[in-house]
Amino acid sequence: MGYLDGFRVTFNRLFEERVTTEYPQEKRPKPERFHGRHVLNRYEDGMEKCIGCELCAGVCPAQCIYVRGADNPIDDPVSPGERFGYVYEINYLRCIHCDLCVEACPTEAITESKMFEFSFANRQDAIYTKDELVVDDDGKPQRQPWELWHDGDDALTSGWMRATAPSGSAAHVGQVGWSGELGYGVRSPELGQTAPSDDDPDGGQG
Amino acid sequence: MTDIGTPIDWAPGFIANTTPKIVSGRFEFEDSFTIERAMATGAYNGLKAALAKTPAAVHDEVRGATVLGRGGAGFPAGVKWGFMPPDKWPRYLVVNGDESEPGTYKDRLLMERDPHQLIEGCLIACYATGLSQCFLYVRGEMPLAHERIAVALNDAYEARLVGKNILGSNFSVDIVLHWGAGAYVVGEETALIESLEGNRGMPRLKPPFFPAAVGLYGQPTIVNNIETLANLPWILSNGAQAYAEIGSESSPGTRLVAVSGHVKRPGVYEIVNGLTTFRDLIYGDQYCKGIRDDNELKAFVPGGGSAPWFTPEQLDVPFEGREASAEGSMLGSGAVIVMDETTDIPTAALSLTKFYAHESCGKCVPCREGGTWLEKILTRVVKGQGSPRDLELLLEVGATICPGDFPHASSSRLGLEAQPFPYKMTTICFVGPSAFAPIHSALTLFPEEFEAKLTRRDTIPLMSMPVADATGTDESVGAVS
Amino acid sequence: MTDLASASEVNETGVNITINGVRVVAPKGELVIDAAERNGVYIPRFCYHPRMEPVGMCRQCLVEVDTGRGPGLQPSCMLTVSDDMTVDTESETTKRAQEGMLEFLLVNHPLDCPVCDKGGECPLQDQTLAFGPGESRFVEEKRHYEKPIPISDLVYLDRERCILCDRCTRFAKDIAGDPLIHFMHRGNETQVLTFPDDPFNSYFSGNTVQICPVGALTARPYRFRARPWDLAEVESTCTTCSVGCRVAVQSSRNELLRYEGVDIESVNHGWLCDKGRFGFESVNSDQRLAGPYLRDVNNSDQLVGTNAALEAAATAIGAGRGGGGVGVIGGARLNNESAYAWSKLARTVIGTDNIDAQLADGLSAQMVLSLPRATIADATSADNVVVIGTDLKEELPVLFLRLKGAAQSGRIKLTELSLLVTGLSKHASASHRYVPGELAHAVGELLASNPQLASGSTVVVIGRPSAADFPDEVEAAVGVLTAGLPLATFLPALRRGNVMGALDMGLSPGVLPGRVSLDEGRDWFGSVWSSLPGEVGLDTAGMLEAAAAGRLDTLVLLGADPLADVPDRDLVERAFAGVGSIVAIDNFVTESVKRANVVLASTAFAEVGGTTTNLEGRVSRLGQMITPPGTARADWMIAAELAWRLGGDLELESLAQIWSEIEAVAPSHAGCTLEVVEAEGAIEGVVVPIPKSPDLAGAPSGPASIRWSAPALAEPPSVDGYSLRLVARRKLYDAATNTQMAPSLANLAEQAQLMVHPGELRRLGVESGTRVNVTSSRTTVVLSLVGDAAMPRGLAVMGLRQPGLAASELIDLRAAITELRIESR
Repeated sequence: MGYLDGFRVTFNRLFEERVTTEYPQEKRPKPERFHGRHVLNRYEDGMEKCIGCELCAGVCPAQCIYVRGADNPIDDPVSPGERFGYVYEINYLRCIHCDLCVEACPTEAITESKMFEFSFANRQDAIYTKDELVVDDDGKPQRQPWELWHDGDDALTSGWMRATAPSGSAAHVGQVGWSGELGYGVRSPELGQTAPSDDDPDGGQG
Repeated sequence: MTDIGTPIDWAPGFIANTTPKIVSGRFEFEDSFTIERAMATGAYNGLKAALAKTPAAVHDEVRGATVLGRGGAGFPAGVKWGFMPPDKWPRYLVVNGDESEPGTYKDRLLMERDPHQLIEGCLIACYATGLSQCFLYVRGEMPLAHERIAVALNDAYEARLVGKNILGSNFSVDIVLHWGAGAYVVGEETALIESLEGNRGMPRLKPPFFPAAVGLYGQPTIVNNIETLANLPWILSNGAQAYAEIGSESSPGTRLVAVSGHVKRPGVYEIVNGLTTFRDLIYGDQYCKGIRDDNELKAFVPGGGSAPWFTPEQLDVPFEGREASAEGSMLGSGAVIVMDETTDIPTAALSLTKFYAHESCGKCVPCREGGTWLEKILTRVVKGQGSPRDLELLLEVGATICPGDFPHASSSRLGLEAQPFPYKMTTICFVGPSAFAPIHSALTLFPEEFEAKLTRRDTIPLMSMPVADATGTDESVGAVS
Repeated sequence: MTDLASASEVNETGVNITINGVRVVAPKGELVIDAAERNGVYIPRFCYHPRMEPVGMCRQCLVEVDTGRGPGLQPSCMLTVSDDMTVDTESETTKRAQEGMLEFLLVNHPLDCPVCDKGGECPLQDQTLAFGPGESRFVEEKRHYEKPIPISDLVYLDRERCILCDRCTRFAKDIAGDPLIHFMHRGNETQVLTFPDDPFNSYFSGNTVQICPVGALTARPYRFRARPWDLAEVESTCTTCSVGCRVAVQSSRNELLRYEGVDIESVNHGWLCDKGRFGFESVNSDQRLAGPYLRDVNNSDQLVGTNAALEAAATAIGAGRGGGGVGVIGGARLNNESAYAWSKLARTVIGTDNIDAQLADGLSAQMVLSLPRATIADATSADNVVVIGTDLKEELPVLFLRLKGAAQSGRIKLTELSLLVTGLSKHASASHRYVPGELAHAVGELLASNPQLASGSTVVVIGRPSAADFPDEVEAAVGVLTAGLPLATFLPALRRGNVMGALDMGLSPGVLPGRVSLDEGRDWFGSVWSSLPGEVGLDTAGMLEAAAAGRLDTLVLLGADPLADVPDRDLVERAFAGVGSIVAIDNFVTESVKRANVVLASTAFAEVGGTTTNLEGRVSRLGQMITPPGTARADWMIAAELAWRLGGDLELESLAQIWSEIEAVAPSHAGCTLEVVEAEGAIEGVVVPIPKSPDLAGAPSGPASIRWSAPALAEPPSVDGYSLRLVARRKLYDAATNTQMAPSLANLAEQAQLMVHPGELRRLGVESGTRVNVTSSRTTVVLSLVGDAAMPRGLAVMGLRQPGLAASELIDLRAAITELRIESR
């Protein structure tokens, strides 16, 4: 057969399932614990979860987070408690998406979405302010003009992304250890790494 | 004397019987608190006898009589007086009339019925130790005692029995009457001193501040119980020898014991120290005449609410400090609380613990936080919401207040050996351990009563109390529509 | 044999104890907790504070101690070491007790660490991590109170977080002497509270925030401003007043956020006054002068570049140098190096001796520099301490704390001679009053009636009692003192930040750097400095009078606000009208700066390093933490630039180089090299002059120190039965720029009012609080007249500089006393 042998591979592949996706028109599901850009969550009643404690800024190895707290106005509180996050900025030119901020957050205010497709025309845009990071009134992240979103991408936000279980115990698998969230309510428990991925349309069966 | 043991109407709770009367001798007169009656029945004879001797001789007399402190610790008064540093003046006598131990009401009777005996005792103590200033601290909840002592003091001053040049001698004493504001902890001597100085009634740490060295206003101070001082006039009138002949060798004299609870005739009795047993007291004809409705005795508190409990097995223990200690409790302030077979032991323990948690002064952490925590756990158990873990927790929390082995009585039923008194503690004073004592006794001697109240058999994983039920979550969460 | 001998030697100095199996020697009387810490064993504690009496409340420091009667748990904060004591801080029993106490403390302590200002630097957090149990077994509801309640304008109290350690209450009662916070209720309900309607208005309230071991007490100015981990810190010395408390200056993102007291034995013991502690707000103020500007003939301000402004300033100074003369007022704000630069600039380049760091409200520089100086340590250990004139609580608050503490402990016998009852009066063993104008006579009487002052060591703390009286009075009084108590040492209670450093650097007419007079130092300085002015110049009063008479062309205001501070406003107004031009170098546009023709912006505290000198003569390092706003520059740089533009050269290049020149030139600073000041462990600073080591005794030492002779005793002014004598006293919080620019402090200043004895009110027939006409030789003003039984009869008392009206309006600088006529309107 000579040179035709070389085409055998090609012909065989013709009848196999195609693995190439037409990115960016088409996106593949992201892994369960994918680290994308952050969102600042709110409670189901609309209160912000961030209390401005600066633990995320303190733990950040890239020093890309700048937080300042302020006294919560008693008549119109922003978050429950005395203190709220008055300034919250993340510089995505520095962020390495290590997720330590999510680990450090005592209120599950900051979580990472699976959205990573953003490009900026200037450095200022790379600094996401609190207005941009906090979820909207439906609990969905706010779309920035420089971000590539498809329909449904905004639903891929939040989700419990903490790598360690409370107290580090395997006994907690299946138990919900976090509070309700605007737009999502109380999320189902994390079932370990073999469990269906959040954003897998067929529930991880395929 | 066919009817031995007579309740006296005007001394509520006091029952006169045939034992020797050292401090309660004047109770039989309705007007015993007046100076006229007191003088007519030999008051201040002890003082006169004392003034005829040198102070050192009076001190020796008291030391020889071995008057054990009646406030709780049972330390000999004569020895205590000798602890003051010889060269530090002025020094003070403080009389502890803040009797508030649950079950105890003997000092109240002494103050209300015979204030002159008390004043005389103070004067003798002052004379023996060379003091010229005495403070009489009366508990805030005892207005009648306060009033009677005030009147008696005025009368005594007028009769030149108190004040300058008493009875013509060159011995002078001023007695200041101070009315407390009502706090259990002030019965502790350093807290009493703080309160007297006008501060919050919080105990001071000893060492370094034993009152005998650093007491009221930083000066050497003797703090004596009311009943201790009330013994002195008799001793000086009749001699230490006569006193020592009553009672046992190690615990001479008599003592007042207040019995409350499920007995036929609760009251205050003057009993012979060291010889009378709890069986005599509870079942004796001239004392309490047995348990109400002829029920079975379940347990009794031998020395005020803070003492570990005894069971019928310890009925033959006499009123002798060392024997009571060896059996795992103390004689304390002379109050016996009797519980019969109908008593719910956890509830009884709770009511005592509640008292001590409430009366914590708040100074040291184990008592302030631990006492209330104990109360909360026990409340949960009593309400039937406890788990086996709670019973362990009670003992663990108690072990932080009182590290090491806590004293308890023996129990042949449970195969327990007695753990002798006293205990170690992490607090400054005894209020903290007192909150734990009833719990420990009840739980050690009657564990089955607690177990019967437990409803939750499971233990709660403490750090992972679920905030929501996992099954109740929205199924659609996470699914992409 | 040798072993025994060494053991007995040890016994004389201390006792042998064993800590965790290691034999150590501890001085007699030392607490176990301190002995352990000194030997590297940290015992956890909450209530124990080394500067306060132990109470043994928290039980956290329980350790197993065996004194021969078997091991038992003892609170190590109340137990002094004794021979052959065995301490075990790591035994099972100790550990269980420590864990147990922490679990108890956390039973009711809310776990709101993320929102708590203490989180990250919290002793409860840290010690729970180090000594606590991993988990709590407490599942019940915690204790609840209303979340933070303001207990004063500066401090918030969160009773839920409070662990009732008694630190703040002990501080308020025992150290500050303001027992305004106290335990209330009892048992589990115990809480710290103020008395109803009686807020915690203490000058020292900020210290309670610093010593609180949890976040129960928080300070309003720092509340939620930063977390500990984003604070950068540098040690410095507070220059709010001349006590020179050691502080840790903390900032984040180039903004000052907090000062914390640093515990040094010689000065502040870790305490700060609230004015010093919260004064950082004025440095951050958006009112700060960020760059130079010129005021043109139309009185409109014109922002210019630094070069143009320096050029204009040099032109103005040059015009004065060539013509009617130049005067430099101020300099107490400057660090030592800048003060030296300005001293050198004035003397060598401008060629004038008209320079004065004091604003006619202090003491004679010659007197202050020549008196034998005491240290604070001397004043707190002397047999007798005499405080004359000032109210230290209002003017030098931490010196007040130290003297009060020493008097309370019985170490010193405190005698006070003052016009009014002061904060120290109730702690003094004797407190005497005198009448304005008769201080010297009163001192004479005091010495005559207290012969014991001459026996034993005596320290005299002397300040200016009232800016309304002529300062000669104080000089005459000191004359009486030095004659009567030849061995006494003095602590001059001058108030402004680095006024002592300024005087040491020669910012006073007739005084050269190093406490040398112009005449005696002429030869010594002639060889180092290029030239010296011919004759002694004018002080602030003299300069102002010369300017008013048209005899001074240019006035340089070196961080001075004469309109507000010189106790004769009328004179300053006339001087400003008569002077040719005014050059101001300042941090803020003060009232006086508004009148300047050329304004240069300079650095404030923590924006420049260098050194400062406190009232003892203690030289200590300043720390730079942040950069100055805009184009503001250090004062020494401005001096160097001006010198260059005036055709000279100061040859000063850096702070370090300036200091080495000072050390070489100033006789009083000989040996005080930067290495000595910066040496490891030298946070206490160095008191100058440093005693010469004997082997250097023969070395040439430069000119002799300045001398001063007391003026003759003047006759007391005659009594005018129709007038009241004015006492212009200082309050801690007043209308001073640095106070008013700190938002937290600004509102604490009381409004101006005239206080008299109620008897005077009756005599005038007016009610307390009535507004009256007050007439002095200068002017008539309207003030509200308040009766106060603490005021002596015959006196009228007002704050020198309270908001509303400054006493300086009423005062004639040259009058011995100020008499007031009061009439109802």
